[in-house]
Amino acid sequence: MLERMFDPNSVAVIGASRKEGKVGRAVLENLMQNSELTIVPINPGADEILGLPCYPSIMDVPDDKKVDLAVIVVPAKFVPQAIDECGQAGVGNVIVISAGFKEAGVEGARLERECISLCEQYGIDMIGPNCLGIIDTASGLNASFAANMAYEGNIAMMSQSGAICTVTLDWAERIGVGFSKFISLGNKATLSENDFLKMFEEDDTTAVIAAYLEGVKDGPEFIKIAQRVSRSKPIIIVKSGRTSVGSRAVSSHTGTLAGSDAAYNAGFKQAGVIRADSLEEMLDHSRAFSVCPLPEGRNIAIVTNAGGLGILTADACYNAGLSIASFEESTVERLREKLPPAANFYDPVDVLGDAGADLYAHALDAVLDDINVNGIIVLVSPQSMTDVPGIAETVAKKIQQSKKPILCNFAGGSRIAAGEDVLNSYGIPNYSSSERAVASMNALCNYFTIKKRKQEEPEKLNCDVKAARSFIDTASEGKRRTHGLESLDILKAYDIPVVDSRIAKTLPEAIKAADDMGYPVVMKILSPDISHKTDVGGIRLNLKHADDIERAYNSMMSDVRHYMPDATVTGVQLQKMVSGGKEVIIGMDRDPQFGPLLMFGLGGTYVEFLKDVSFAVAPISASEARHMVSSIKTYPLIAGVRGEASSDIDSIIQTLLKVSQLVTDFPEILEFEINPLMVMPEGQGCVAMDIRFTLDS
Amino acid sequence: MASILISSSEEFSGKSSICMGLGKIFQENGLKVGYMKPVGNLLIDVHGSLTDEDSEGIKKLLGIEDPAKYITPIHLTDSLIDDALKGVEKDLDERLQEAYSVVSKDKDIIFIEGTGGIGGGSMYGLSDPEIAGKLDTRMLLVTRFDSISAVDRILCDMRIIGNNETLTGLILNEVPLNMADRVNDIVVPFLEKKGIKVFGVIYEDDTLRSVFISEIVEDLHAEVLVAPDKLDQLVEHYLVGAMEVGSAIKYFRRQPNSVVITGGDRADIQMAAIDSRVKCLILTGNMRPSGAVLASAEEAAIPVILVRGDTMNTIERMENLIGHAHIKQQVKLDRVVELLKNHLDIPAIAESIGVEING
Repeated sequence: MLERMFDPNSVAVIGASRKEGKVGRAVLENLMQNSELTIVPINPGADEILGLPCYPSIMDVPDDKKVDLAVIVVPAKFVPQAIDECGQAGVGNVIVISAGFKEAGVEGARLERECISLCEQYGIDMIGPNCLGIIDTASGLNASFAANMAYEGNIAMMSQSGAICTVTLDWAERIGVGFSKFISLGNKATLSENDFLKMFEEDDTTAVIAAYLEGVKDGPEFIKIAQRVSRSKPIIIVKSGRTSVGSRAVSSHTGTLAGSDAAYNAGFKQAGVIRADSLEEMLDHSRAFSVCPLPEGRNIAIVTNAGGLGILTADACYNAGLSIASFEESTVERLREKLPPAANFYDPVDVLGDAGADLYAHALDAVLDDINVNGIIVLVSPQSMTDVPGIAETVAKKIQQSKKPILCNFAGGSRIAAGEDVLNSYGIPNYSSSERAVASMNALCNYFTIKKRKQEEPEKLNCDVKAARSFIDTASEGKRRTHGLESLDILKAYDIPVVDSRIAKTLPEAIKAADDMGYPVVMKILSPDISHKTDVGGIRLNLKHADDIERAYNSMMSDVRHYMPDATVTGVQLQKMVSGGKEVIIGMDRDPQFGPLLMFGLGGTYVEFLKDVSFAVAPISASEARHMVSSIKTYPLIAGVRGEASSDIDSIIQTLLKVSQLVTDFPEILEFEINPLMVMPEGQGCVAMDIRFTLDS
Repeated sequence: MASILISSSEEFSGKSSICMGLGKIFQENGLKVGYMKPVGNLLIDVHGSLTDEDSEGIKKLLGIEDPAKYITPIHLTDSLIDDALKGVEKDLDERLQEAYSVVSKDKDIIFIEGTGGIGGGSMYGLSDPEIAGKLDTRMLLVTRFDSISAVDRILCDMRIIGNNETLTGLILNEVPLNMADRVNDIVVPFLEKKGIKVFGVIYEDDTLRSVFISEIVEDLHAEVLVAPDKLDQLVEHYLVGAMEVGSAIKYFRRQPNSVVITGGDRADIQMAAIDSRVKCLILTGNMRPSGAVLASAEEAAIPVILVRGDTMNTIERMENLIGHAHIKQQVKLDRVVELLKNHLDIPAIAESIGVEING
């Protein structure tokens, strides 16, 4: 896939220029760094540029220079014509560097659509527009206007921001980090992160995938591809636009919705993507993956020459969910053999401030051999007698031979620079703080779990889709999009237990309904305009006889008229009073990028206040449903605390799976909520007490 | 020649729509229809002459050729009020009679529209019942049924009219759908027992409440940034985008056919509105959005309009516009006619006025 895009024999630059400072010149010069490449400048105003014969049009290029890739740098309005000519000339790959497309406005968007349509017509693969270009270190291609060529390496990087490409390349050049491929995604008019994930999966030169994204083009497809790719290669993504101000900037910049951060967290988690919080963290993690084997557990040994640093690192490990290793007795004995008596022989191992490279080597050998150690963090502080480069040399060699990951924090400034240089010369990262090293060690440990996890497909449940379809079709007939209690029966089609209830339009009907059902009952206002019934006095509990019903009905109508005079009230619903259960909420919001985002949390009136909820993108598997339930902080309240009986967790999981199926089967459901779902003690099931959903028009 | 005065106890009750719709129906039945609104209170300048906005609209839609100065002979200006209070004689009755004789010439029926509320104009002797008396015509009451207290208003109106014989009957207008059963089962029988003929119950109608985007553009003096060919769509609600984007998406999805008002710098809200396929985006404060947002709006065929006013000011204008829009377009007139035919006893109305129609 895209083989000739990244490893072309012949590359044309449409809009090549001889003028210094022009993009058309920078691209040409970058390409010319590869002497084996045939380079064809296209410019109707020149016969030759930088010694290369120049052609007025791509269609004039002779057959013996048959172009595999065209890099287009002409102004936006001429790009469609250039693509059209590429199509006619049989060029299969283009990179449109030119800006002035959708990001610039209406006319630019029209031009972009024209480019897309031409690419479809001719079967051309296009990167961009509005991008920096691409680099492939294995083929020696630099089809970009970046200031420098990347070093060879095993990290593939893609970025939705051209500037972040140049920043990363510049940083990498200074410390010698290499890349396999470097792709500036631009506007992602045709090729997007999904296409490149597939390409990186098959690319032998790529071991680690890193990306800066402002959004994904097709969330469900992204999850599907990344789930597969992440089993063979780690994917580390920094996604911007997490906050309200950030998402506003994304919308303004790209003309897309940034998407909810909860959806990205859930989608990335399900896809096996490691999410970095910053560009620095993405690069930190990428470098760790680039050089380290994976830890087979979360037990970390710390080797330090400074007690304080060791303690800080131990704290950071604990906070990240990593364990400090308990050494085998033989390890402690080995450490005692050579370390001074004042040293610490337990984790964190303190070799003391005057330790040289030999003591570090001894300590590292001892903890590496310990079966209880899965990864090591080496800390070095510069004392007057510390041989920083010597220790770095020793540690680097150990890292190269080790089957366990070792990350370094040579802490300090000018006095550790020589050590850092040594590590860089081996391609080994030095983390400027132990917290950064711990964060990357944690990423390695998490990826080990991701790699090992079993792929469980969501099970297709046997539901009465026809009944639900007819229910939704009837609901869609009216103009109202939001439906409430009156639609409780839709759940029955998906075999979700619902509370015994009756609808009454008047007080006499309400009394009759309650008499028929048997007391005690709950009365709820029926109004599609009211989502928070409690706030407007729209719920009355534990009504025990007809007098209660009359009082509740009259006061409820008065309250609702007072708080929401414009609400449409269609009557009340009487429900059989259910007690002895715990209230949970199951919801769904259709996310612009990822689709149906399921939500689970403790329910009732406190849900919006507690915000203790978990998310997953539907459809979900049984183990994902179980994880949703167990990952909320208040899970112990459902599982039972202090001898209390557990709630029927399996029934919650079943309901989650059914809701997952329902919202997957019916894309017209935009929002959905069962709140509360009353969960009874273990073995006694659950029952939906209230519902609310919004349908697409 | 028959005539009827359409009156109501409050403004914006639908008098103009009823005049227009009944006029159209009677025209369809081969009757020559005339119209007048004796006292114009919505004054506009048409080709250098002052006239009433309702009159001008109905004149056009019903194809009435009588001069505007006779259709609305009296204009409710400050000086008219001051003179009335000072006791200055303005010969209003003569002007009324003269205009009436002109507009009723060669007509089978004249619809006379009252001004504002039923008692309005008492200070210069031209309240609706007074006009009815002076022109020797009966009255048809239109009441907007916004709540049960409308019944109180109707009974008060009866007292203002004084003589039960003057009132032909009543139309209950804009009845909320959720009150339909109560109105039909309890309110109508109650009124009929009081001797008030109820000609029909018309329910709230989104098309009539709604406003064309082009009307919003005109009213707000807005600049259309994209999709100028999509201004002929109807908008039923306005929503204000001032929350965080996650809530905005939910809010926008729940109200179909809405226009969203937000700041030009709120790209997230703008994209949420576009993604939710609202009908139109109004950007306030004269702040242009980013090119990328405009491009997305254009691709989604959603008009984006820019106004100078701030969000509060724009909300106030929209509040006045939606639900109070004057019927200027054929599509709305057609809808009025459809509603009247479906929900009113037209033959009974014709009979009470003294004309005959076929069905």
